[in-house]
Amino acid sequence: MTHLKWLPMLALGGSLALSAHAADSNKVLRVSISAPETGFDPGKVNDVYSIGVIENIFEPLLKYDYLARPLKIKPNTVEAMPEISPDGTVYTVRVKPGIYFADDPVFKGKKRELTAADYAYSFKRYADPVVNSPVSNMMTDWIVGLEEAGKRASKRGKFDYDSPIPGIQVLDRYTLRLTLKKPNYIFNYTLAAKQFGAVSREVIEAYRKDTMSHPVGTGPFMLKEWKQGNKIVLAANPNYRKVVFDGEPGDNPEDQKIAKALAGKTLPVVGRVEIRVIEEEQPRWLSFLNRQLDWVVLPKSAVKTALHINEAGETELSPALVKRGIQHSRTQALDVTYAYFNMLDPVVGGYSKDKIALRRAIALAYPVQKEVIPLYYANQAVPMKGFVTQGMPGSSPGFNGQMPYDPALGNALLDQFGYKIGPDGYRTLPDGKPLQIIQATQPSALDKILNQIWQKAFDSLHIRVQFKVAKWNENLKSAYAHKLQMWSLGGTASMPDGDDSMVELWSKSIESGSNLPAFSRPEFDRAFEASRLLPVGPEREAKFEQMNRVVAAYQPVVLGVTRMYNELTQPYVIGFKRHPISSIGGFWRYVDVNRN
Amino acid sequence: MFAFIVRRLWQMIPTMLGVMLLVFVLFNWVGGDPTFILEGKRLTPEMLANIRVQLGLDKSLPEQFLLFVKQVLTYDFGNSWATQQSVAGTLANRVGPSLTLAGSLLVLELLTALPIAVAVAYFRGTLTDRLVTMICTVAMSVSSLVYIIVGQYQLAFAMDLFPVMGWDDGSLATNLLVYLPLPLLLGILVALAPSVRFYRSFVVEELNHDYVRTARAKGLSEPRVLFKHVLRNALIPVVTNITMSLPFLMLGSMLLERFFGIPGMGNELLNAVDKSDFPVIKAITITIATAAMVFNLLADVLYKWIDPRVQLK
Repeated sequence: MTHLKWLPMLALGGSLALSAHAADSNKVLRVSISAPETGFDPGKVNDVYSIGVIENIFEPLLKYDYLARPLKIKPNTVEAMPEISPDGTVYTVRVKPGIYFADDPVFKGKKRELTAADYAYSFKRYADPVVNSPVSNMMTDWIVGLEEAGKRASKRGKFDYDSPIPGIQVLDRYTLRLTLKKPNYIFNYTLAAKQFGAVSREVIEAYRKDTMSHPVGTGPFMLKEWKQGNKIVLAANPNYRKVVFDGEPGDNPEDQKIAKALAGKTLPVVGRVEIRVIEEEQPRWLSFLNRQLDWVVLPKSAVKTALHINEAGETELSPALVKRGIQHSRTQALDVTYAYFNMLDPVVGGYSKDKIALRRAIALAYPVQKEVIPLYYANQAVPMKGFVTQGMPGSSPGFNGQMPYDPALGNALLDQFGYKIGPDGYRTLPDGKPLQIIQATQPSALDKILNQIWQKAFDSLHIRVQFKVAKWNENLKSAYAHKLQMWSLGGTASMPDGDDSMVELWSKSIESGSNLPAFSRPEFDRAFEASRLLPVGPEREAKFEQMNRVVAAYQPVVLGVTRMYNELTQPYVIGFKRHPISSIGGFWRYVDVNRN
Repeated sequence: MFAFIVRRLWQMIPTMLGVMLLVFVLFNWVGGDPTFILEGKRLTPEMLANIRVQLGLDKSLPEQFLLFVKQVLTYDFGNSWATQQSVAGTLANRVGPSLTLAGSLLVLELLTALPIAVAVAYFRGTLTDRLVTMICTVAMSVSSLVYIIVGQYQLAFAMDLFPVMGWDDGSLATNLLVYLPLPLLLGILVALAPSVRFYRSFVVEELNHDYVRTARAKGLSEPRVLFKHVLRNALIPVVTNITMSLPFLMLGSMLLERFFGIPGMGNELLNAVDKSDFPVIKAITITIATAAMVFNLLADVLYKWIDPRVQLK
């Protein structure tokens, strides 16, 4: 539906190179999320479900191409890619004129254009103690003066948005200059991150106490209806500028088919997205099979019925679903899963040879390929080879730090370093004291499966293990205080670069909280810090390989797996492709739904 | 009667204080630190300090408890820690679906279980009675989760008799006619067996009393004996059962809500516990505790109405 009432104003504005369009309101995409969202203030949320919605309402300066693999960043609300100074410290961008926020009573009936000042304000919010953003460090660690502004606000009790910050300069209505403390050749990844879309100051100040339920952005959709933890409805934003699909498929025939199907289509294609929160796997899966949902992430419990391994050893959709026209997409997630050792712990920590031997033996007894992948991940995962997801810059192709499954070798290693087996059948420490590993875990059924695998691994080494069960947040609290001896966890990359995971093993991250193992090696730090000063390329890759080798040598972590996404769409959903960095909402604007 | 009610209302104050203290101690002891859920893995000390100030967790425990008492007195629990939405608003949105589900379930269960209980009690000792009792025992030994999972799969998916799940915020009729029949059917299946056995035992006990024999000797018809005399005297445990269930109506049925996408209080409480969202947990607990005390008093008053011999002390 075209909003004619705005036409006079648009004519007055006169700066619209392309007119806004109306998506087909009859086309509805129905999806589900498996846990409740928290809200839609980009500065305040860190759960993937809220971010999935935010991604469709707010717009960062840059975006990822929908189809391009390897991943490619493109201008989003800016006229061109940022101009980067030769020393990698100054980024200058020019916001496209004629981009408007969705209508809101705060704008008093006027069209509200997006300007460089909106991004300046939005970026400043990440240092505001009141916002307390979970991703604040992605901005405050880099932009000159932002961290100090945050500290001043903590003392005063109020962030001063009007005082200048040296690293954020609005040169004119549309031009923004960001100055970084240190060279950073991959800051474009931050500028493309989903949480860094522009908000309007008027809206944030008007709804100060309730910004989570008043998202007003310039993106393709706007929030139409929200029943927290149950249902979210997005409607196409009538003020969204005309954006025509411009995905760049590579040589992949599937991607070329998508590009052909979506060629020339104006985004968003569907007029409405209905998102249901369905926490249980069965109703989610049955709703999809009954066509109450158009897209679903295949639940673990349905893997055996929905997928099978063909003669070539490839995972494919079961014939019954193929017959129904169901489409299957299998992609590797950009995540890491691992079990870490507390390097400050007197039993498993430290850098002496006997401690390294103990950690390595445990890694040798952990059956990633043999049991973890089939039992815990229903064969939908691949083993990690280093502390960076395979295929990303920094993943050191050709290097494999994943220990082979060899408990006999692990036992030999323990024997060699004086971990003797006592009369009770369990090993002691080299000094004769009892050896017991206390592994933190959670109370879920899935965690119990992992505990059983770990139990067998420790039994094979004659090491006594105790599982200490607590809620995830309590374990995180203990981990943060370096009180846990050992804990399994994981994380999804927020950018397609090894820096995102390696930063968690940098010694300076111990103080800031994210280096949970408290790993600290000067040779690792030197390689990491040097990598941050280099543009993406062979020299930087070499630094990452050094880091991976240091990690393999000292074994602060037992490498786990990278998960595979299996997503199914109904036959009438056209153009679905999982983007590894985009959230679950990354495809909503692109797909067409043609139930006829 | 009036003095009794006033006295009982007065006694609610120390009870409520006890509930508040218990909830507060339990949450602070085993509830989990919410800051680590709200901020995630990459938490800096500054972020931790900021969020603790915002949530009021930097205050001493006595101060936090006094604030809790104030919230109970004003019934203003502020905003959810997880979503920053008003707790009152959230609960107001949630209570309707829960009452729709659980209220319908209570009525249907009573209308089904009570006649069955009376019938099998009347035929006590016969094959029918033994068969029904055996079925009830078997039915009670099956987990409610099994009923829900199997029922949803078979009736909604395999046989396509109902939608798998759903809820329409705007239409009670749609919910009652389209989305609720299956959860209600499964809810009744889960609740019927224990209720039938429970009610049957009281009806059987009443049937053995002398007044029943006297009524029959007077020539009263069997339905009149059963439904006018026996049932009325057996109503006290029924009323107890119902009034004790009423406060928990607000919580709906957590499993049914979760599996059928009903946006009720039960699901909200589960999520609040999962996220250590103390304001929501406080609000729900206090609401349920208050309702339990009020309905307990109501039950006592109803006893007097059902059986004038009951003395209120």
